Amino acid sequence: MDLTAAERDMLEGREGPARQRAMKGLVQLGRAYGAPRLVEIGYAHIHAGMALYLEDVELMEDLAAIDARMAVPASVNIANADTVNWKATGAPESLARLQRRAAGAHAKMGSDCTFTCTPYWAGHWPTWNTHMTSIESTVTIFCNSVLGAKSNRDGFFAVYAGITGRYPLFGYHLDAIRRGTMLFEVATPLAGGSDFSCLGFHVGNAVGDGVPVITGFARRPTLDELDALGAGIATSGGASMFIVPGVTPPYGDIAAAFHGAKPPLPARVDAAAIAAVYARYADGHDALDIVHLGCPHASFEEMKLYARLLDGRRVAAGLELWITASRNVRNAAAEAGIVAKLEAAGAKVISDTCPMSCHFARTVSPDPKLGVVPPALRAVVVDSAKQAKYVRDMIQCPVLLTGTEEAVETALAGRFVPRRRPS
Amino acid sequence: MTRNVISARGIVEGRASGPALVSGEAISFLGDVDIRSGTVVGDLPSVKGKSLAGTVLVMPYTRGSAGAWRFLYQLFKHGHAPAAIICGTLPDPSVVQGAILAGVPIACDPSAPLDGLRDGQRITVEVEGERAEIRIE
Repeated sequence: MDLTAAERDMLEGREGPARQRAMKGLVQLGRAYGAPRLVEIGYAHIHAGMALYLEDVELMEDLAAIDARMAVPASVNIANADTVNWKATGAPESLARLQRRAAGAHAKMGSDCTFTCTPYWAGHWPTWNTHMTSIESTVTIFCNSVLGAKSNRDGFFAVYAGITGRYPLFGYHLDAIRRGTMLFEVATPLAGGSDFSCLGFHVGNAVGDGVPVITGFARRPTLDELDALGAGIATSGGASMFIVPGVTPPYGDIAAAFHGAKPPLPARVDAAAIAAVYARYADGHDALDIVHLGCPHASFEEMKLYARLLDGRRVAAGLELWITASRNVRNAAAEAGIVAKLEAAGAKVISDTCPMSCHFARTVSPDPKLGVVPPALRAVVVDSAKQAKYVRDMIQCPVLLTGTEEAVETALAGRFVPRRRPS
Repeated sequence: MTRNVISARGIVEGRASGPALVSGEAISFLGDVDIRSGTVVGDLPSVKGKSLAGTVLVMPYTRGSAGAWRFLYQLFKHGHAPAAIICGTLPDPSVVQGAILAGVPIACDPSAPLDGLRDGQRITVEVEGERAEIRIE
């Protein structure tokens, strides 16, 4: 691989041990994937250091201890405990304290410790053609598709890219693979984020690690709908980007989306395809423990929607309504009086984590000293196909997927309200 | 005892030995392996119920998941990581990242088929740069 003089300095240790460790890893990764050189990146969304995994927070502390610093703007992915209001999720203080140690390491390294899966709602908004890296597939697909930035679905090495400001030139950093592989035509009305999340889940399943081109929307999807769509696609398959011609840059029409090649015949997505995703997550259960909204972490607009649906009403006794958003969005919503309305209705507003990110101790083995007890949940109701999949797989708990408004009605009534088909 | 040396493409540097564990199916580190025991729990007939710990894991390819690195690293932290991995084709970037973190050498695309390999045969994998050597004892 061709390295610049500055990159060679990092590799050979003249820029300190952190940059050397990071550069060694990136060069091995680049060599494996045939990258001819490294590119300069403009943004990194990096690993939190997760308190529920054994010695995982230490991964970030070790880097901070050898004076790692972020060379580019960096945000931090979702974590395993609300670091301020851990009691709301039933976590022991020991877990929150360990999670806060990760925040300390991030502060030292100069990253913005957002602890969120939607850093874009917290102000991290890379623009067209910005090379970047992300540990979170929802962030990768949003930035690649909606913003036109260039990112692979990364793992831990997102932090190495942040430390060096470099990433190997392969995958979605190359324009040649940023083109459609399948064409989908939406032939059914969609209502709200949950339907877009199910559309994404259906499309992601069909497209594998290709690039879906999606047409046929009745109107331009909102940012929240595009966010839900991408999260769904990235959950069921290995896709890193999607294209909505005329909406996502820089593809003005179907021909551009396929780089001038003849588009394949469209796969029609009908009402049954969307209903099938809801039906997949319908673990029939009368006893509900948690209703969850905010996967991925809610935007300010979504917080407004929840407040409108909950204003002046009251969550039923015997179950909990969790609303998850980044601390930045939460603070903005608090200033606007939205959080007060949500809390007056009995909702719990939670940051830094979410059900699937804080309740999966059953399938991993956290340090026994933390005293984490996996919760005995009877069922969780969600409005996101992503949350549904991971509640089932990681928490190993029954899960029911419904629309956003129906999820709120479920919380108010204390019994499950299935999704109503839009007409 | 026959002794075979097969060249391969080097992906993650290092040198390790161990008994072979041959999987006929692709493995996803997120979901197919219990990190607490190192045991394969996924529905993979050739390796289900077997432990990856200390083995030279031989498989046709890796099944994709962006979280694979974390589970490979957790296997290492729990003392159940494979000693080395030999893959028929290039593994996912996430697996490569986890292997570098956990110090598990990876070789792929061996120059001769490994069909005759049986579980328990001792193998050494040595990767330096882009060159890898697989020694079968």
